[in-house]
Order: sequence, then structure tokens, then C-alpha cells
Amino acid sequence: MKVPPTLSTVLSNLFKKPATNPFPNTEPVPTPEGFRGKLVYDVDKCVGCRLCVMVCPAGVIEYVPEVRKVTFWLGRCVFCQQCADVCPVNAIKMSDEFLLATYDKYDDNLRWFKEDEIAELKRKLEEQKKAKEAAKKEGSK
Amino acid sequence: MNVDEFVKVFGERFPEAEIVVSENKQPHPKKRIWIQVDRSIFKDAMKFIKELDPMAQFSIIIGMDAGDKLEAKYHMELFWEEGESLSVIIGTSAPKDDPKLPTVTDVFPSSLPYEREIQEFLGLFFEGIPDPRRLFLPDDFPEGIYPLRLDETGIKPEMVKNAGHPYKIKKEGSK
Ligand code: SF4
Ligand code: SF4
Repeated sequence: MKVPPTLSTVLSNLFKKPATNPFPNTEPVPTPEGFRGKLVYDVDKCVGCRLCVMVCPAGVIEYVPEVRKVTFWLGRCVFCQQCADVCPVNAIKMSDEFLLATYDKYDDNLRWFKEDEIAELKRKLEEQKKAKEAAKKEGSK
Repeated sequence: MNVDEFVKVFGERFPEAEIVVSENKQPHPKKRIWIQVDRSIFKDAMKFIKELDPMAQFSIIIGMDAGDKLEAKYHMELFWEEGESLSVIIGTSAPKDDPKLPTVTDVFPSSLPYEREIQEFLGLFFEGIPDPRRLFLPDDFPEGIYPLRLDETGIKPEMVKNAGHPYKIKKEGSK
């Protein structure tokens, strides 16, 4: 019988340790520096310039005109980092997080600045406006 | 054969052809020969190129909706066996009310898939094409709609689907 040319390699590999990472019993392979994971949005920093909406190739970002902020649905994100690069106030950053599986495509973990937060900010802005008007009236008296 | 020689030989054979040589300098200096011919002499021009270099490499056909006419540009690399090759782009066009060009599959057999693609996507038809079946579009795609047309035979707005952003749509089951 002909000896297969891979035989010696196979035999020597039998006595080596397996070169695998048995996740989830261990930590996953560490992410390198500059890894593009789930993006993080800082609502307070955002100035509503809409640049991120323009550069996003995947339709992740929608502009919310009433409060001049943006809202994200990361179910579509392709992790290209263009929004983080273009944002003039660094309101968007890429994090290390990459274990993002969910049971629901509209899961909270895949959203930034959801409807209830938008409604709350709207209320706040209106209160501020009223307070300002009240102060004006006080001043004109 | 170099660029100037090609322009001279081609210009002498087809005096009515418009020939422009473009040159990009950086990062890879390269001259390109752009030829525009009427469709009546287009087939002869292709045959002439094949005679000049029987080993010519046919690259691609690019079709375009240019308003009242349909344009097709044929890209070729010539004399690539002699070292630096010659980049030739030969263009022709057909009016929309008579969208027909002669096939060049008998000159360059590898042009067949591009001709089939342009037939289904642009509604520009090739007379004498040996295999006019659709290539990329699904078989249940409606007849008479050409996705790359910019006019009323293009894609209808109701055919465009957007899977929607949860902020914009309020579907059942969304939180
Ligand atoms: S990383 Fe890319 S795909 Fe994801 S939100 Fe930013 S621009 Fe859009
Ligand atoms: S680019 Fe930055 S500041 Fe501008 S809208 Fe997007 S997140 Fe806000």
C-alpha cells in the first residue's frame, strides 16, 4: 500500500494540544485596538448636523427634526465607522462589544435614542421654552 | 503598435470616427483611446480592430441611458502580448425609438453575456444575438421594464421596497 504523504503530519499532530478557543467556557479572543464593535451614541453631545445620516451606507440613522437629534437601529449597521469618523463633536464612537445576537431585530440593545427618550426630550424642550416665555413676560412687566 | 500609430491607422480607415486620447498621470500613467462611431459603421470598426490584433482582449460593454438615445461603450485591451497594452473604448449609440445595435458576438464571442445583460437591463437590443435569453433578471420579472432606464420604462416607484427603520414604521411586534 502507498503511504499517504500527509501521514507523518497527521501522526505528529495527534500528540499536540488542540489549537482552539472553547468559547463560551473561556473568554473570546481579545479584540485588537481600533476594533469596530457596536457603536455608542451620546445624545447630549449631538448637535443634529445630520452628517452621519448622509454618510451611513446602510440606513441605520434617522433624523428626528423635533429635537434635532438622530436615532439608530443597529440591526442594519455594517460597522464601517464612517459615522464616527464624520461626526464633528464625537457623539458616536465604536466600542469593543461584538456579542450582539438577539431574539428580536428591534431589541433595545440594537437601538439608540428610542421613541420614549425622544418623547421625554421633547417634553423637556417644551418646558424650557415655556419657562423662557414666562421669564420674558416677567421681565416686560 | 502604440497609441499614435493606432489612432493614425484607425482614423485613416474610418475618417468619420471621433477619436480622443485621454491620459491620466497619477497614480498609474496610462493613455486611453476613446472612439465614438455611428452604429452603421460600428460593426466594421469592431471587425477592423479584430484584424489589427486577433488576440484583442474584449473586456466589457457598458450601457447607458443618455436621454433620447441609448449608449454602449465597448472596452478592449489590444496588443497586451507586446508588453504595455493599448486601452481602447469604442462607443456607439441607438435612438430610443429604434433601440438596436448589431451584435459583435461573431467577432468577439465573449461579448455575449454583456449583450444579454444590456438587453434585459437597458432595453437595447442586439440584432443577430445567438442567445437572447435573460441572464440576471428573474424569469417572473415583468416584460417591458428595464431597470437601468431613466424614463418611464424603468423601475416603477411601487416596485421599490424598503425594509424600513423602526423609528419610521410602527409594525406589529415592534417595541
Ligand atoms: S458604522 Fe457605518 S453602517 Fe454603522 S451606523 Fe455608522 S455609518 Fe452606518
Ligand atoms: S454627525 Fe454627530 S453631531 Fe451630527 S447628527 Fe450625527 S451624531 Fe449628531
